[in-house]
Amino acid sequence: MASHIIAQAQAYLPNIPLTMVSQGAEALVFTTTTHPCLPVSEQTDTTYIIKYRPSKPYRHPKLDAQITKHRTISEAKIMHKLGQLGIRVPRLVAVDAPKGIIWMHFVGKLLANGEMSSLKNWLWYLERVSAPGSATDAGTARILTQVGREIGRLHMHDIVHGDLTTSNILLEQPHTDMNDTDWEPVLIDYGLGSYSGLPEDKAVDLYVLERALLSTHPVFSEKYNAWVLEGYALGHAEVGGKLGGKKCTETLRRLDEVRMRGRKRSLLG
Amino acid sequence: MINLDKHIKPSRDYYLALGLEGSANKLGIGIIKHPKGELTATNRAEVLSNVRDTYISPPGEGFLPRDTARHHRNWVVRVLKDALAVAGLVGRDLDCICFTQGPGMGAPLQAVVIAARTIAQLWDVPLVGVNHCVGHIEMGREITGAQNPVVLYVSGGNTQVIAYSKNHYRIFGETLDIAIGNCLDRFARTLKIPNDPFPGYNIEQMAKRGKNFVELPYTVKGMDLSMSGILAFIDSLAGDMFAGNKNKLLVAADGSSVTPEDLCFSLQECLYAMLVEITERAMAHVQLQQVLIVGGVGSNERLQQMMAQMVQDRNGSVFATDERFCIDNGIMIAHAGLLAYRMGQTNELWDTVCSQKFRTDEVYVNWRDD
Repeated sequence: MASHIIAQAQAYLPNIPLTMVSQGAEALVFTTTTHPCLPVSEQTDTTYIIKYRPSKPYRHPKLDAQITKHRTISEAKIMHKLGQLGIRVPRLVAVDAPKGIIWMHFVGKLLANGEMSSLKNWLWYLERVSAPGSATDAGTARILTQVGREIGRLHMHDIVHGDLTTSNILLEQPHTDMNDTDWEPVLIDYGLGSYSGLPEDKAVDLYVLERALLSTHPVFSEKYNAWVLEGYALGHAEVGGKLGGKKCTETLRRLDEVRMRGRKRSLLG
Repeated sequence: MINLDKHIKPSRDYYLALGLEGSANKLGIGIIKHPKGELTATNRAEVLSNVRDTYISPPGEGFLPRDTARHHRNWVVRVLKDALAVAGLVGRDLDCICFTQGPGMGAPLQAVVIAARTIAQLWDVPLVGVNHCVGHIEMGREITGAQNPVVLYVSGGNTQVIAYSKNHYRIFGETLDIAIGNCLDRFARTLKIPNDPFPGYNIEQMAKRGKNFVELPYTVKGMDLSMSGILAFIDSLAGDMFAGNKNKLLVAADGSSVTPEDLCFSLQECLYAMLVEITERAMAHVQLQQVLIVGGVGSNERLQQMMAQMVQDRNGSVFATDERFCIDNGIMIAHAGLLAYRMGQTNELWDTVCSQKFRTDEVYVNWRDD
């Protein structure tokens, strides 16, 4: 597995033990228990995530440096901002933008089949492994509504995620007394995120998720999406009250337009 | 296990299909032969003929639907005779006649489907309508032997990242406005470079001489991308360059001025980096290790090289075909159509209407069961 990239990360982070967790599309994710700023005597055994965006050999060096720096900075900024606003995100620890490194607190845990608890893995687990019907029961409905609610709250603060897929939604159990079917969603990976108040950008955000659901979880995608949108309205109402409701309708109306605009859509139905 | 041999002719242990493709400016007719049984590495499809004629418009112009349709009408009989002669067959030997049912330009599609209907009635052979994109994917899989790849389909009219799931080719990412080939073609028109053999090829040759990288907008939106803004941006840069207007973007780091070659180089670097990135996103999302590049732009060596670099870091493999199978051709329509025919699909005459809007994910892929 891409050993020279890991070696590069290790060279940027000397004397820090790294454990590789996953190789995403644009970043490697490591865990470590070392805090970057605390002196040795005050280190605890808390787990941190180090997200490293390696330089991509296929990109022109100038383009590559620009993209790495821009995405790392905007991800860190947005995560920090969301943390202040009280939206559940991994807590930011440190950033090194030119090298593409972000430290943050660990979220998520392992599922029963040993996979990371992303929404995608969890839904696949329910659809393939678990008892029939569990992919569409009330527990699933609750979690997908929660997902929608988180997105709604994000959009109410005029922040768009830019890359909503089921891989970019982690499930965690913040309280120790929560059982196996009880999860709270956390949105991660804000590398393509931006600030925008336009209904258009928010609608595209929802559309990207809708398409991701359709392509990754084709059997129940309609149900899933309906639950997400239900939660989306809830999130708006919670943050903005009546004004939130208005903004929500505006975005959803725009979503219809975005759907119609997709390329080579069948004209029937 | 799927039985592909329910519709075989009693006296035979093979199938023959003819495919007609004319959804854009290429008119292609090909004949393919499938042996009985499942297609495997040892039991492969055989290309009997693959004839193509391309309508080439003058520099600075695109191909208009009306002129392209006229080209197809004028050439279809000659190309057809050629294809049969190369294969050494007569029309009545065929099991089915496959044609592109969409997506594509309306007028050229119409011109070719009329030819298909005519010969089907002349020789009394059933018709099979084929989705152009599925044709590309199936041909790419057959030629390269890729089992279950993430497919990057890049051509003049389409830009999609596709993966198979539950009997459909699902679209994970695609362009939100214009296709990549369209973007390159239109920039070639701005630069007034020849359309022969095709504009993308000439841009590639110019880009090889470019050195200075001009920063262009980089517009990846999740697994989707948008290219119309980049085109407008680089078009206006080229406009400034030709008019001699001052523009600080047109001065390279070493003080020299930016050339058309540099613009071609920058455009390719930027667009292909976006394509490779969305492909990588799809690979990570669906956890597949193989990439297959199909479509006309897929014959670009720089794109293949960049893709190979990306895939190497993921320990995967990349599959690409050469221009015979990358660029629109009749063989791919014959191949995909024959697969559908072997599963029992035939189109009655009333059901052979073409559509410009025929999405990849609408096709029910019943010849795969994984």
